[in-house]
Amino acid sequence: MIGASLSRWTMSYFAAALLALVAAEVLMAVGYGFPRAALGAPETLILVHVVAIGWLSLLMCGALFQFLPVLLARPLYSDTLPLPALLSLVAGLVTLILGFLQLAGRADPKFPFFALGGLLLGLGFALVLWNLARTLVAAQAVPLPARFVTIGLVSVAATAAFGIIFALVLGGVTAYEPFVALTGAGLPLHIIAGIGGWLTFTAMGVSYRLLAMFMLAPELDRPSTKATLYLGAAALAIAILGGTMTILLRGDLSIVLLGAGGAGLLGLALYGGDVVHLYRARKRPHIELNSRMAAFAFASLAAAIVMIASLLAIGNLADQVGAVVFLVAFGWLSGLGLAQLYKIVAFLTWLECYGPVLGKAQTPRVQDLVVEARANKWFQLYFLAVWAGTVALIASYSLIFQLTAAAMLIATSGIIAQFVRTRRLADVKAAIRLPQGVQVPRLLHSLSHQT
Amino acid sequence: MQTTFVDLDVRPILRAGGEPFQQIMETVAALNPGQGLRLFATFKPAPLFAVLGSKGFSYEATELEGGDWEVLFQPTHAASGTESPSSISIADSSNWPDPLQELDNRALDPPEPMVRILAATEAMKEGEVLSALLCREPIFLLPELAKRGHAWRGGFEPDGKTYKILVRVGAAKKAAA
Repeated sequence: MIGASLSRWTMSYFAAALLALVAAEVLMAVGYGFPRAALGAPETLILVHVVAIGWLSLLMCGALFQFLPVLLARPLYSDTLPLPALLSLVAGLVTLILGFLQLAGRADPKFPFFALGGLLLGLGFALVLWNLARTLVAAQAVPLPARFVTIGLVSVAATAAFGIIFALVLGGVTAYEPFVALTGAGLPLHIIAGIGGWLTFTAMGVSYRLLAMFMLAPELDRPSTKATLYLGAAALAIAILGGTMTILLRGDLSIVLLGAGGAGLLGLALYGGDVVHLYRARKRPHIELNSRMAAFAFASLAAAIVMIASLLAIGNLADQVGAVVFLVAFGWLSGLGLAQLYKIVAFLTWLECYGPVLGKAQTPRVQDLVVEARANKWFQLYFLAVWAGTVALIASYSLIFQLTAAAMLIATSGIIAQFVRTRRLADVKAAIRLPQGVQVPRLLHSLSHQT
Repeated sequence: MQTTFVDLDVRPILRAGGEPFQQIMETVAALNPGQGLRLFATFKPAPLFAVLGSKGFSYEATELEGGDWEVLFQPTHAASGTESPSSISIADSSNWPDPLQELDNRALDPPEPMVRILAATEAMKEGEVLSALLCREPIFLLPELAKRGHAWRGGFEPDGKTYKILVRVGAAKKAAA
């Protein structure tokens, strides 16, 4: 088959991811983990991994199963593998959390949770990578956005490898000297590979195409876009490969990270220029909610970069790393994710339901599946809460941070309710809602109607 | 730069019991220098390998899910610097009739171009041809056209920005007749 069709399990990934986001916001609202606990405390590690694996990674995997085929104009290698991968990732995350509870003395100390969790997560990510890599290899040409995704996939492999090494050492499975050294000093590399390489770099690549598509802007293939790719790839290579070598040779990691940070910040600045160009060059005067809200996510990324640069300048990054990571995770990555989900859920649901009868019966438009005015207030509340939460973290007001987390929880619940309404076609006018041959879609997965 | 490919899906013709050989050869004859052909068939078209091999094409056959085959025919002496975007010289590539309708969907919000093309094909008679200009490859439209039994040819115009697609309504039934 040529072209792309609906990815069957993408909605299941989105549902599991949103559940993890809600869980993380509940934990933050009740004061579990940072800032009440230390950054390295088991409680904080649980929170971080619920966000990084449960929410952001599942969201990204689900999106890539649908979106990589669109980028490459080729079908996904397997539409079956995503399900066992999802089950393995979820089981691995739960086991990893039990491992952290063990670290905190709250779970049976004898059971090898870390080893088993590392194994399950490794298996899950390997299945995802295998599927996406086979899809990439089969493609004739790999357009620029897909090259960002390729680097992102290499980064998630590196992130998982670091994580598995940490889990094996912390779980007492191995005392192999290089692994112990990496566990001792490699945490920054795990974070950079995960948040920088896997989540941010992949999101950047995908955003190039999504923004061009939804705003009718020209596809970017200009020198700055290529430079962004090369600078980002160089920054990640310096940090991940150079950093690993430095740790193993017992050198000074901070110099390596500074070099990687310089290349990375330059790449992000060029990316910022590209994004502004896309918004300006758009042919569509009135853009939809997803593109308007994505602008808040880009603003959050820009603010985070300014924060990192200023904190580095005054030598204070270590004290505020929690606030920076929070802004990157919730303002930039989650903000962009929620904003684009709003459009993606509507579009995929529309295509699943009405694609087969287009032209044969009167059908609603994609925008008839959503009510932007209703979603708008929840998105605004979400971003305001995230920004207020960042300020509360900088100022170390934990109680105010909990209140902002509660506001994020309310806003997210409001947004999720809109997704469910879209999926159930609840806002479509009755007269055109169900033409002959159209069924209300399943909430949690898509029925493929290939003949 | 890699070789650019012109797509040809002969599965509707084969399923309807038709013989796509002539159409394949016409498409090959219309390829620009350096261009390859991406062929979709319901079986591994082994006889073609020798025929196109003699015309200077190497092949790479892949079985798709569902038992269909995708074969890439690449010119063996492809110039390494084929910078031109994929395009088809539509005028001389076929014996299709002139387009009955021409749609310019370049300024429409997605997925409106797809909606209009499908709506237009539903109102057309068998064998009639529709032409449409788009601002990107219509990824989600193509499977839908195949499902409805329409044949299509498409590619980017030399400007690299406009994608032109020709859709021939009910080509599967036509080929059987």
